[in-house]
Amino acid sequence: MRRLFYLTKAVSGKIDSGWFRVGVPLSEARSTFLMVISFLLPLLLWCFAAYAPFLWKVDYRINLTAVAEDKELFAATYVAGDTMEAGRFRKFQKSIREDNNRLEKSGTSGISETKSPRVARAANKKLLRDFEPVLVKNGLFDQRLKQRLGTKDYYQQLYSTAYETWGKLSRGDLKLKPGSLTRENLEIIGRNYKLMAEISSYYDSNNLFSKPIYKLIPEGTKQVGRPSYLPAPHEVVEKGWENFSGSSELGNLELWRKYGESLRIVFFGFFMACVFGVPIALMAGTFPFFSRLVEPFADFFRYMPAPAFSTVLIAVFGLAESPKIALVVIGTLPHLILMVANTTRMVDSSLIDAGQTLGAKGGNLIRKVVIPAVLPNLYNDLRILLGWAWTWLVIAELIGMKSGLTEIIDTQGRRFHFDHVYPVIFLIGITGFVTDQMLAGFREILFPWTSGGKVGVVAKVFILPGRIAKWLVSGRIEPGGKKELVS
Amino acid sequence: MAHAMLGWVLRFLEFIIREAVNPGSIKENMKKTSRIIAGLMAVCFSGMATAEPLKVGYSDWPGWVAWEIAIKKGWFKEAGVEVEFVWMDYLASMEAYGAGKLDAVCMTNGDALVTGATAKPSVAILINDYSNGNDMLVAGKDIADVKALKGKKVALEEGFVPHLLTLKALESNGMKESDIEIVNTPTSETPQVLKTGDVAAICAWQPNSGAALKEVPGSKAIFSSKDAPGLIYDCLAVTPESLESKKADWVKIATVWYKIVDYLKDEGNQEEALEILAARVKVKPDEYEPFLEGTYILTLEEAGKVWEKADGLESIYGSTKVSDGFNVKYKVYEKPLDIDTYLDPSITMGLMAE
Repeated sequence: MRRLFYLTKAVSGKIDSGWFRVGVPLSEARSTFLMVISFLLPLLLWCFAAYAPFLWKVDYRINLTAVAEDKELFAATYVAGDTMEAGRFRKFQKSIREDNNRLEKSGTSGISETKSPRVARAANKKLLRDFEPVLVKNGLFDQRLKQRLGTKDYYQQLYSTAYETWGKLSRGDLKLKPGSLTRENLEIIGRNYKLMAEISSYYDSNNLFSKPIYKLIPEGTKQVGRPSYLPAPHEVVEKGWENFSGSSELGNLELWRKYGESLRIVFFGFFMACVFGVPIALMAGTFPFFSRLVEPFADFFRYMPAPAFSTVLIAVFGLAESPKIALVVIGTLPHLILMVANTTRMVDSSLIDAGQTLGAKGGNLIRKVVIPAVLPNLYNDLRILLGWAWTWLVIAELIGMKSGLTEIIDTQGRRFHFDHVYPVIFLIGITGFVTDQMLAGFREILFPWTSGGKVGVVAKVFILPGRIAKWLVSGRIEPGGKKELVS
Repeated sequence: MAHAMLGWVLRFLEFIIREAVNPGSIKENMKKTSRIIAGLMAVCFSGMATAEPLKVGYSDWPGWVAWEIAIKKGWFKEAGVEVEFVWMDYLASMEAYGAGKLDAVCMTNGDALVTGATAKPSVAILINDYSNGNDMLVAGKDIADVKALKGKKVALEEGFVPHLLTLKALESNGMKESDIEIVNTPTSETPQVLKTGDVAAICAWQPNSGAALKEVPGSKAIFSSKDAPGLIYDCLAVTPESLESKKADWVKIATVWYKIVDYLKDEGNQEEALEILAARVKVKPDEYEPFLEGTYILTLEEAGKVWEKADGLESIYGSTKVSDGFNVKYKVYEKPLDIDTYLDPSITMGLMAE
């Protein structure tokens, strides 16, 4: 009927160019194009939300930080890279200026020894450390030194470079790039260096000025004040790159090792669920006896949320990976049993009849008739169920001792470091997507008679290597593309 | 239990694969298959089958994060003791201890009582530090002081150390628990809760309280453990059984702790220490620096003084007595506990005598 409808439409010449045809597949080029768009749209939306300046207020991104004495207002420690609302940033600057004024007054009245020498030294070192972004910006210091030097030597190097630079700046021997330091701060550095140089003209950790010196006034650059849960795409890419290459600002996050942990939990949990579930489901799908014995309970069990068992699982399996794997198993197993049993029931009954006529029964019938008949659909079911296993991963990794990628998502999320969180979430998404497409590709090779050559673009990538692998194993190449071979 | 289940799993697996791979030749394939499976299981459950080292649960309190220094520097191995430190959320670590999955856990003297009354008793053998400001009551923009909390919601972990501190804050302002409404929240999630604006204040320790202060504009600490020094001591609490059977190992662990203390007290190690500690809780080293001040790490001599029996908060006995009183008064548990069984100064005393 529909064919006829389109035929008439085609004759009238309106149909060929249509994108919105009901029930008719799009051409390959068009479906590929739409696939790309389906990824681009959310990305564009994200870019718009993150970069559109009129959506958000103006913030300052701190380049040069300081510690305010006023703990009432500025209780948290701000480091370079943090952002602050414009009004608050100006208050922050004001607060530091007041601290400096207080120091100046107490200095002239001779009571500058309010802090213990050790505390003062630590504060002075912090001042030198905080100068690092200015040094880096002017090419005077290389942060990559950290990988070569040990932590101690690295900081030693940093302190002496900062100290030396302060000296040069106070003597006027060095000109910094415009915009990297205000005149006000340059003056403060001059005063500080004068104080410090009385003790030593170079950095000496054993002989550092042990009284408070003046703080540098915080500096920042204006930027779009996005909420912390909406980092810009370029920030996410940057942080993702740093984290995955092991040079994160938060220490080594060991992302790849954690990725391995996560993969192990998903795949092993899924594997165990298959090992237990598939035989049970095959029996249940073949014999009504087993069906009634197993399925009602599986149906009941799947409504009990798997995470509800987490404390029980810890009590039984301990703290390492086993309770997490068990959670994935009990989350996946009931669905697997029901789905696969149902698939098995759909096996063409004439095949079973024929098998029985030829004398097959019991285990033989299952092995020779049911399993081969159900295999392509079983493969598909398992592919979908692997997706289920992934959904349990995050919860599984949170129970007991936090592990895997979830540990990063959880910890960083709680610190509001969402620019570190998103790359990890994307990694999980990409892994799931690629595995799924890979399996879809392999399906085309393993069961070429089932799909009729309709697979996604990504899946196609895996078809050729899959064919070669199969050829290596079995010594022959299956003809690709559309098949009408098996009736 | 786990091992028995593993055995069953293994046998079942073996059966399935044997049947599937080659139904005809079970015997020939048996050895091969079981070897493959055993290898697979060994990979997946690695660590489960080997001899169990001592397991210690530790969490994000700065005094306990300090163990990380010995872990990273391999000092336990040097001291000749097999110990595995398991990084967990504070509450989860106490639960795991209660479930018998840990030989020791890092907890406060007050929480050791709560865990003891509700799940499993323990013996504190080591006092790491006392809280000197890192435990805080952080209030949102419109709350000026503790008194302003009257009739408002406060998010905190019920029955544990933030609860104790909040009660202390209320008492010292002439208020009662019923003056506020407590919203039971895991400490690590309190910053998010404060940010939503659904509660007037939260009670948490660093780095959680710091995250709240930074992320919630206008928030401030209206009461902290600095206002009640000695109320909260942070300890290493061991199961009585393990202490009895493996005392020598615990002495070694205590020795390593005082090596950590010496390391931390040395000014020259400051930067390296900050890197190690900050990396554990995933903040930047400079953000971690103030935490060291808010947690007063006790030297061996100072710890010795705290172990002396006295009634005031400067003694762990007095402090624990106060916690016990609070817990009974506010029905965290029913009857006062025998505090002396929860505290064992002998290891610290032994180290001092050396």
